[in-house]
Amino acid sequence: MESEDINRDVVHPEVRAHINSLVSALGGFSADDDGKYTLGDDALECLRDMRRWIRFYDEKTNRMDVARCIADANLVGGDLLHIIALWTENCSDSKFKARIALACYEVMVPLTWPIERNRDQMTINHHRHIPVLQLAQLGYKRAIINFDGAPILHTAVRVALPSMAMPIGERTPRDQGIIKLMLFFLRNIAMIAPPHGVKYEGDESQISRSATIDAFSYQDIFLTLLTIASNMGEDFRTEDVTVMEIIFHIVKRVDVKKLFLEEQQLNKAKADELSAAMEKEAAMLRSYKKTAPKRHNRFGTMIWVKRENGKMTSLSGQDALIDSATRELKMDRSKTFRPPKRSRKEEMEPKDLGPPVSLNHRANEQLRGFVEEFLDSGFNPLFQHVRKSIDREAAHVLDYHRSQFFYLVAWFLEAERMRRKAKKGKKPTEISPDDVSSFNLVASVLNQEMFITLNRWLDRAYNDKDWPDLVAVMKAYTQILLTVQEMSDSGNEEDEEIADNILNRLFYEEATHDAVANIVRTYKDQGFEYLDACTDLTHTYLRILEAYSKQNVDLTVRSRKRTRSKKKAATAAISNEDGEGPDNMDDDSANDEANAERTSKERKFDFKRFALRFATQGVVDTFVKYTKYYQDLDESQLKRAHRYFYRVCFKHEMSVMLFRVDIIHLFYNMIKGPEPLDKNNSMYKEWEELVKQIIRKCVKKLEERPALITELLFSKINSTAHYLEYGYEKQTISSN
Amino acid sequence: RKEPSGLGIDEEVEVKKRVTVPRVKLDEARLLSENGIPKLRKRAKHLHLKGKGHEWSDASKLLSFYQIWLDDLFPKAKFLDALGMVEKAGHKTAMHKARMDWIDEGKPKDKTFD
Repeated sequence: MESEDINRDVVHPEVRAHINSLVSALGGFSADDDGKYTLGDDALECLRDMRRWIRFYDEKTNRMDVARCIADANLVGGDLLHIIALWTENCSDSKFKARIALACYEVMVPLTWPIERNRDQMTINHHRHIPVLQLAQLGYKRAIINFDGAPILHTAVRVALPSMAMPIGERTPRDQGIIKLMLFFLRNIAMIAPPHGVKYEGDESQISRSATIDAFSYQDIFLTLLTIASNMGEDFRTEDVTVMEIIFHIVKRVDVKKLFLEEQQLNKAKADELSAAMEKEAAMLRSYKKTAPKRHNRFGTMIWVKRENGKMTSLSGQDALIDSATRELKMDRSKTFRPPKRSRKEEMEPKDLGPPVSLNHRANEQLRGFVEEFLDSGFNPLFQHVRKSIDREAAHVLDYHRSQFFYLVAWFLEAERMRRKAKKGKKPTEISPDDVSSFNLVASVLNQEMFITLNRWLDRAYNDKDWPDLVAVMKAYTQILLTVQEMSDSGNEEDEEIADNILNRLFYEEATHDAVANIVRTYKDQGFEYLDACTDLTHTYLRILEAYSKQNVDLTVRSRKRTRSKKKAATAAISNEDGEGPDNMDDDSANDEANAERTSKERKFDFKRFALRFATQGVVDTFVKYTKYYQDLDESQLKRAHRYFYRVCFKHEMSVMLFRVDIIHLFYNMIKGPEPLDKNNSMYKEWEELVKQIIRKCVKKLEERPALITELLFSKINSTAHYLEYGYEKQTISSN
Repeated sequence: RKEPSGLGIDEEVEVKKRVTVPRVKLDEARLLSENGIPKLRKRAKHLHLKGKGHEWSDASKLLSFYQIWLDDLFPKAKFLDALGMVEKAGHKTAMHKARMDWIDEGKPKDKTFD
């Protein structure tokens, strides 16, 4: 026994010995009887011992030694799955086997439990074992969802079925525990994924999301989830967040747009994607080629650039001959100095959700089926229940459930919109009776309580600096706004009325306006996902509010009063506003008709004032930072930035805000720089036009006000910006 | 040549304070100096932009105008980094005052009297 002599093992040798003896006592493949798995005599006790080891050695003393030993002994793949397979469908009534199967799951759940890092109580043992265990968990997942002998996931449901069949009042704590255990098992399996930055060495298709969805669909897990979700609040109560978690891990990062495409459309979309990517690469290479040397690299060109008062700069390389822009770029690139405080490198990929997933056709179909059925039956009961649980801060709700909830609300609302779109494309006339119900399907997240929750968490996440949470809330908000907007355009009177009511309530709260404006104004390296979410929310919010403020005459009197008092305060604060404002507001004693008319007018007026808040330097900077990713943004994202800048420059006439050298530099380089936007991009033309207009305006302004040449370097303050924008000719401009 | 204790452990080690050369910064003092913004303003008189129809050449001219000025003023930093530093310095009180003065210079005389 040489391996035992050299005591290099990372776990205590006695622990390993104990575990190994337990594993071997569990059972094995018999030599006769054509190699079937045979249970050991005391298999059940062995399993219980194993559980005790995990609980009292690993969990109590905060080690991972037992888990490590079990991983080394290949317990899950070698024994547990085969034991579970013994409990076949036709021996369902065998009590002993059912009990053994349950004991197997009781061991497997802690083994597959997600491992958290960065906890305070991490010891050296954790650092030693976690990398091994994470890979081991991947192995468990592969073994479980690809096991040929028996549907392991389905068997888990079978274990819990007797408890589930009972009415909720009659369930014992043990029954509830079994249901929980089964749900946690499914959750763990759905959740296990290759850890960040680790390349899985086996066949990835065996543990990918597609394989998981396939297994879930094939083993009727989706049906179970649907059943539990649609009975939420009746037969199930505290299971709500766990079910939600399973769904979250199944659908996270799945592209909703692709989900509702038919096979041919999907193939076409994928082909388009490929050709677009190739085209992009070609464009990139073309742009490099423009400045690439025509001769070999030791050709040795050297030139002088004459500068002011006899100064010379020398540059080498043939590309220096091309034009002055290239020369300046070369001069700039040769500098090595970096400013001392540079921010962390921002990453496009969100870490906590993992990379975007691509599903194969089969999984796509299965997931779509599930999503549609879930929307039809499970969405309202489940999400209403979860929302209530979150609101009353129930004990079983953990912190991360909240962001999962908001993420899922956003995801499913988008899915519902996509589904409507897909339906519409198919048969444009028939769906009008369906339409009524379609918005009802997601009604539980469009009610007033939901908005209260949403606003509260928006505030709280912002104040607690909980950015991932805030991202989820913003996403949910955006999707709700889009859904409501679609509702108000649906052509169905009832829906339109409801939508109108919702919008009325939504935009009535000035606090929300403040929150949205604040969030986008105060962005500072929170990552790309945050940037994306907050710009999207701003864009949607502004757009819908604008449309709404234009068309509505019948706003409540109360709202009018409120805005007026607010506005009075505002005008008192900003005393340099022109004379129009105070005049409008002075006479309160008009009759209702006039009141109503003026309300809508005031709304519009109000909107202008409101929109001006988004024309401040902070918001502009956020959008500029966002636009810096222009190479990686897709069309809708580019459009969003484009609309914003257009709005600032031409609608609100605060173009001065954009007149800063780094912004002009960015805009210019997007179109004419060394790495421009792809010309085939559908947004290219619009951006080109916009940048052109902005530059033209900037040049014009420079001539009008020479002071701008220095101000071009700095962020403007509102007062100076106003002068620079309007100058002394302000009166005549506003009277025009 | 060595003490019996030998290793020199007992000797006191003198900690010398190294005098580092102060880093050159692109701050408000540098910006307000002769080579700073005054020079920019002077040079701006020779900057002729063509206006409508020549947007791209104008933008490129404008950008290189700033780039060359910054390269003269603070050669070690890259263009965009230097722009960031200038922007940051713009929030200082001294810069603020100077900026207001430059703007006021452009205002017509009758406005300054009322």
